[in-house]
Amino acid sequence: MELSYPMLNKTIIYSKIHLPNCRLSGLIFFCLLSLSAPLYAVQITLNVADVAAPSFTARGIKVVLAQEGSAEFSIDELHMAEKIWRKVHIYCTEFLLNSAHVTCHKGKLDVIPDLPFTFSYEFSSQQLELQFTANANELWQVSADFRAKPWRATALLRNAQSKRLTDLLPSNGALPKQGTLNGTLVIHGDKAGVSKINADLQLADLAATDASGLHAAEKLSGKLHINADRAGQKWNWRGALDWQGGELFWQPLYLRGGHTLQASGQWDGAQLQVTQAVVNLPEVGKIELNALWDIKKSNLLEGHLVGENLSLANGFANYAKPFMEQSILSATALKGRADVDWQYRNGTTQVLLLQLHDVAVEDGEKRFALHGLNADIPWHAQLQNVAHVAFTDGELMGLPLGATQWQIQMRGMDFTLPTATLPLLDGKLEVSDFHIHNVNNMWQWSFSSTLTSISMQKLSAALHWPEMYGSLSGFIPKMSYLNKLLKVDGTLLFRVFDGTVLANNLELFDPFGRAPRLSGNLDMRELDLDLLTRTFSFGNIQGRIDLGVNNLELVNWLPVRFDAKLASSPGKYRKKISQKAVENISSLGGAGGIAALQRSFLRIFENFGYDRIGLSCMLQNDICTMGGVENNGNVYTIVKGGGIPAITVIGYNRKVHWSELLNRLKRVSQDNKAVIK
Amino acid sequence: MNHLIKFCFALFVLCTSAAASAQVNIEINTPGVATLKQSMQARHAQLAEFYASGAVGLTADGMIALRDANAVPMAGRQKVNGLVAAENQDRKALYAEIARANAHPEWEGDIRNTFAQRWIQHAQAGWWVQNGGSWTKK
Repeated sequence: MELSYPMLNKTIIYSKIHLPNCRLSGLIFFCLLSLSAPLYAVQITLNVADVAAPSFTARGIKVVLAQEGSAEFSIDELHMAEKIWRKVHIYCTEFLLNSAHVTCHKGKLDVIPDLPFTFSYEFSSQQLELQFTANANELWQVSADFRAKPWRATALLRNAQSKRLTDLLPSNGALPKQGTLNGTLVIHGDKAGVSKINADLQLADLAATDASGLHAAEKLSGKLHINADRAGQKWNWRGALDWQGGELFWQPLYLRGGHTLQASGQWDGAQLQVTQAVVNLPEVGKIELNALWDIKKSNLLEGHLVGENLSLANGFANYAKPFMEQSILSATALKGRADVDWQYRNGTTQVLLLQLHDVAVEDGEKRFALHGLNADIPWHAQLQNVAHVAFTDGELMGLPLGATQWQIQMRGMDFTLPTATLPLLDGKLEVSDFHIHNVNNMWQWSFSSTLTSISMQKLSAALHWPEMYGSLSGFIPKMSYLNKLLKVDGTLLFRVFDGTVLANNLELFDPFGRAPRLSGNLDMRELDLDLLTRTFSFGNIQGRIDLGVNNLELVNWLPVRFDAKLASSPGKYRKKISQKAVENISSLGGAGGIAALQRSFLRIFENFGYDRIGLSCMLQNDICTMGGVENNGNVYTIVKGGGIPAITVIGYNRKVHWSELLNRLKRVSQDNKAVIK
Repeated sequence: MNHLIKFCFALFVLCTSAAASAQVNIEINTPGVATLKQSMQARHAQLAEFYASGAVGLTADGMIALRDANAVPMAGRQKVNGLVAAENQDRKALYAEIARANAHPEWEGDIRNTFAQRWIQHAQAGWWVQNGGSWTKK
């Protein structure tokens, strides 16, 4: 239907307008709302209820055609690409609609007023031209030929501001704030829709962030190339990404430019198949992978990743450690190279082949270290296999470890080391039945071991203790670890200071934590006082003692409570105590301890005889309740004299603050600043 | 330094006031508590700027959280992640240690709640705190 107003020289077509793949539906009507007199000032308003297309709907469309040739379009609600715009307003300075074409010159969209556009569409040739231009040589141009077989549309971008895409992207994702796009996007299609896509885009100075800042990019630059062809219901695609510069924070990863990706695969709308991909990680190496991704569930169905000769220094620091902030490896640095082959299927890792080449592992808090680590770990979820692990040296809690080779039997998440030798200082730890397995996502392990003779001199030097003499050896019946708790089942036996140390009920909670907590009982028998006092520069005492420490609890290796009793061992042996030792013991008993001594007596003799030595301390709430061989009210006997010349040392004030007692011990260990007055 | 002094004072006030309200000896000073406090105090010097900028806030459950990473230069966001994780590990350990030192490990939850309220009460003006699930600026 056509209306003509010769006086106005206007032609207005208001019948159906056919747009490719678009259907004008619902109620279309027009109202000549204002053909107000005089007739030369005519203004025509058209109202269209809605326009619908497969991925496009517009409701409440109003078109106002003015006499001078301009047109205003307002749309109450526009749905496109799963986005909604409300109250969209378009103004064309020059609008022309006739049977041949529709054009809009010097058009403006109110949402992008700084980006004027021109639009034209030829009905017969079905050719469309849309061009947005702005200052700074910015151009967004779309040319389409819908009559061609297949139809073709080309988008040309020149200095296109990426922030203009904000409204088209999901609002909860990272949205572009600045940066430009250059390049072309070519789309071919047929009656079934888009059949081919070619994109060549270059990003420059791109900045984007989400609301929380946990996913953000700055100064990103790079090139993206994508080719995709539809074959039936599937798309075959091939792409290349060259991330040339800028930085990216994608919680918890922080990455810099230099990455490249080349990939190809299929996409069927439900699943994305990466049949082949090569990723180049800067300063790490090249990784090849393929994967099958469930798009709707955001779920990896299958994956296979292979990397050879990867640098672990940057590989671990940049791509693995950020996920381990809560673990013991949060302060760990790795060096060396690795080969990795990882296969994932059915919701779990099926195969992990890992080879380590001359790797160094160092904990930033100096709790552990391994050097010269080489390993071949062929792990299969369903197969039994053997891993070979060797290192040249290492360190554990300050103790140096020697060269070691292990053969670990692997069966799923169950690892066993039947026997192993771990050189420790000048001795070795013989480990047997080491067993580690994962239950309910928690690792637990256990082993038994024998410690062959370690020099106490070397041990004390390694641990920065006072120099000790003698040797340490022992047997650990079973040690187990579960849920941060390290437990010793049975009794731990050590030989030290020519005596025996039995430890039982030993438990260490959170051994690598900020405040590890040790509890247990110690029973030391027949320690050689001569060796012991020599170690601590205590003055010489000859004889043997038994020391029992019950209900011991150390937090961060400092005592919180214990019930300790020291007493001369039963039996016959030489009992002598030097003047210096008497002075030191006296100072331990407090200033009043010396009251029982006679200064002149001390000056004459270097050594004294004694019958028994006894000292106890029950530590609770920072107070040590002290006792001796004999207790009498607030007075207790530490050394009971015997022989000639004999000496008796008395202690006073049985309640001593732990810090005061530590000060006394410190004074003694600092070579006897305690003065006998 | 001023921030550190304020932090120590807040910790002291927190302990004493919390002790009074919960009838727990929150002032209890075991080697574990001392170690954890020392560790937290040392870390506070690094965290203070992020509290002030709003990047990190105090949560309603006695922890801290990265609430606005945009306030941190991109290269520093990973470091803040690490600081927050380490601080939360220490805080959790502190509540457990105080409960255990009081011979009532089952009080950990109550102690944590008490600390959470007091941390927020004693937070400096301008810091962000969680209130009923939403963030507010003090």
